[in-house]
Amino acid sequence: MSADKTTATKSTEAARKVRGLVKKAYMRSQEAKDKGNPVAYCMTVCLYDEILLAMDIAPIWTENYAALCAVKRAADSYLKKADAEGFSPLICSYARVGIGFDVLRHELGTMPPDAPDKGMPWPDMLLGCGAVCDPRYKWYEILAKYMNVPIFVHDVMAPPVDADIDKVRGYYIGYQVDQLTRLVEFLERQTGRNLDYNKLNHIIDIAEETRRIWWQSYEFRRAKPCPMPVEDHFNIFVPAIFMIGTEETLNFYKELYEELKYRAENKIGVVPNERYRLLWGGGLPPWHSMDLLNYFEEKGAVFVAEATYKIPDPVVIPSNITHPLERIATLAYERAVYRHKKAQARSGSPEVEFLLEQIERFDIDGMVMHASKSCRATTIGERHFKNLVQEQVKIPTMIFEGDIVDMQFYSEAQTKDRIDAFLEMLKPRM
Amino acid sequence: MSEKKPLRKAAQFVNASPTRLRNQKRRGAKIIGYFCSLTPVEIIDAANLIPFRIAGDPTETISEADTHLEAIMCPYVRSCFDIALKGRYEFLDGLVVPHSCDSIERIYNIWRHQLKPDYSHFITVPHVVFDSSYEFFSDELRVFKESLEEYTGNSITDEMLHRAIVQRNKQRQLLRELYQLRKYDLPLISGTEVMPILWAGTRMPAQEFTEALRPIIDEAKARKHIGSRSNARLMLVGSEVDDISIIKTIEESGASIVMDDTCVGSRNFWHDVATDISPLKALAKHYLGDVYCPRTYKGGTAEDRFRYLVDYASDFSCQGVILDIIQYCDTYELDVPSMRDYLEKNGLKVLVIDDAYSARYVGQLKTRVEAFIELINQGVQ
Repeated sequence: MSADKTTATKSTEAARKVRGLVKKAYMRSQEAKDKGNPVAYCMTVCLYDEILLAMDIAPIWTENYAALCAVKRAADSYLKKADAEGFSPLICSYARVGIGFDVLRHELGTMPPDAPDKGMPWPDMLLGCGAVCDPRYKWYEILAKYMNVPIFVHDVMAPPVDADIDKVRGYYIGYQVDQLTRLVEFLERQTGRNLDYNKLNHIIDIAEETRRIWWQSYEFRRAKPCPMPVEDHFNIFVPAIFMIGTEETLNFYKELYEELKYRAENKIGVVPNERYRLLWGGGLPPWHSMDLLNYFEEKGAVFVAEATYKIPDPVVIPSNITHPLERIATLAYERAVYRHKKAQARSGSPEVEFLLEQIERFDIDGMVMHASKSCRATTIGERHFKNLVQEQVKIPTMIFEGDIVDMQFYSEAQTKDRIDAFLEMLKPRM
Repeated sequence: MSEKKPLRKAAQFVNASPTRLRNQKRRGAKIIGYFCSLTPVEIIDAANLIPFRIAGDPTETISEADTHLEAIMCPYVRSCFDIALKGRYEFLDGLVVPHSCDSIERIYNIWRHQLKPDYSHFITVPHVVFDSSYEFFSDELRVFKESLEEYTGNSITDEMLHRAIVQRNKQRQLLRELYQLRKYDLPLISGTEVMPILWAGTRMPAQEFTEALRPIIDEAKARKHIGSRSNARLMLVGSEVDDISIIKTIEESGASIVMDDTCVGSRNFWHDVATDISPLKALAKHYLGDVYCPRTYKGGTAEDRFRYLVDYASDFSCQGVILDIIQYCDTYELDVPSMRDYLEKNGLKVLVIDDAYSARYVGQLKTRVEAFIELINQGVQ
């Protein structure tokens, strides 16, 4: 292991394969660009993954690229470029990296040198959406200053926890279908291609099967010792979030299933002596210092479950819903409200209901959250969730501060001191 | 009846408002706290409830809220919640929160859980403005209306909504008339005087406030002028810039704030709500389409997005613009470079201030504002 290594050491073959898949994905988007095929800047959870695949539009996941730059410790020049343009260092670090990258490319008139994985190809369109957080549509809106590229922003809607989900279902799903329909019209106009709805339905089938197998494979993590830690999850989610709908991705999760089954049945754990079972209770990871997660393992603590990049819940929708856009919209709605009724009856928070489920099902000893300086979407609420969990289950919890990308907001020494103190609070299993 | 002049009386409305509201509560009124310019107050009016816009207090150190809220959150929202936890909003019967931004969206569940209002409602607001977005928003407003009907036990008819819209439009028209008095070479009313009037309007029954406005305007009109001809004419742009000490500091530094585009200022009354279509559709159109907020994506170039600010500056003869950006406001912070460049290209001087929503920062502000005013005055010479 190199002295400079900051990535995490992985436990599973599946996790080790992901870096190669990511390289291949960027290569594919670059090849698409070279061949004159359309490429699009994209955000996760915008409900268009299967649509883009059906239309053979190569996605460039700009948030993923920012995380990749952080993992490779190559984000600094882009952060500084965004700061020099006058963007506040308090905004989303993903956006700062992405904007900094495109400002730099705009100034140089060419790809920034040393860009990880040869950089993001010049997009033919920018596809933002209103899901998850504000920067995810503002980012592309302000890129208009640096690149004259068509942009489309659509809504992704979910009702609040106290909504009567049966009463509002009709107009929420109706609006979502409308938004996807407008997106398809935009994509057809931009590419000159027609969406093949049969092909899309087939891709949705593969995607749903992939999510189902992913969900099933993680059930093996309930085993003691746990066969797979969170740092592997922070790789393994990548094909499902950024490459969903292909046979290759489906096979990846089939292999993951077999690998975790084998490890669980043969009691091959992440560490030889599993002393503490932890839940990653929230917050995006500190991509720049993923080896921190191995530090827990040195102390016998393993993250056996997580609330970040969680697997879409296994919902079933009525079989008479066959139009693919309606299927996408209905699946998204049912997943968004999956724990609403349960939350209404108890904690008032679907997120907390999920945490409580995990604590029980995975036999958790302690919970850790990452408060990221620049990510309001995943950080605001962590203290509240922690308090609500405590109302139901007394479980030691640690929230450590840092950032998803920007290392100026992170101290390794302080964080390790806090981890030591936290683990001392836990009751060891052996 | 008080002998006080209307303007002086207005300045006292804000401080006295909790007392006034407690008195109204004793007479059976119910008070609904709400966040943001995107809450359609007309629906609360029509339910015969008193809408009360929730404000923070920059002079109060945030302490109680720290147990529940992260420091990386909008300090205005944290301050609102902090003083609520300290009991200063105990008179509120309900809470309405629109999905305006990440911080405001997140506060809804936390507020409900900790403060347990009798009534609460969250309004999902689209981020885009397709025809279907207005239809969706109209459905959301219908569900909001129905929730108030259930709370009060009384139905809200279209006629009642229409009357509430007409009443609020009268108020908007009077506030626009008040703002015309700021166009004069020597304005007839200062920004420091305007602020408490605006605030009073967010925490008084609509009709009462509308009736209070006419004598205020008449009193200001009767003046010869206020301020000095050498004052720099500035526009204030930002979100919840509700701290009067900021306005006062700027105006005491040798400037007159003659126009604003803030959540407590002109964006609440620059456009009327239509009265010739169904009330819920009209409210959806107004609050999603007409009330500016960088959280709503409308597309277009900097020219399309910020031209209205240059028009304001031209109409009110502004020489400079202060962009008062509350920390952790992603939507504004992401817009700042484009907005600043556009305004500067159109001949306006721009000062960007990083607003921590804390009285402690006002001292530092004075030095920066004085330097900015000097820069403007050098340009004039």
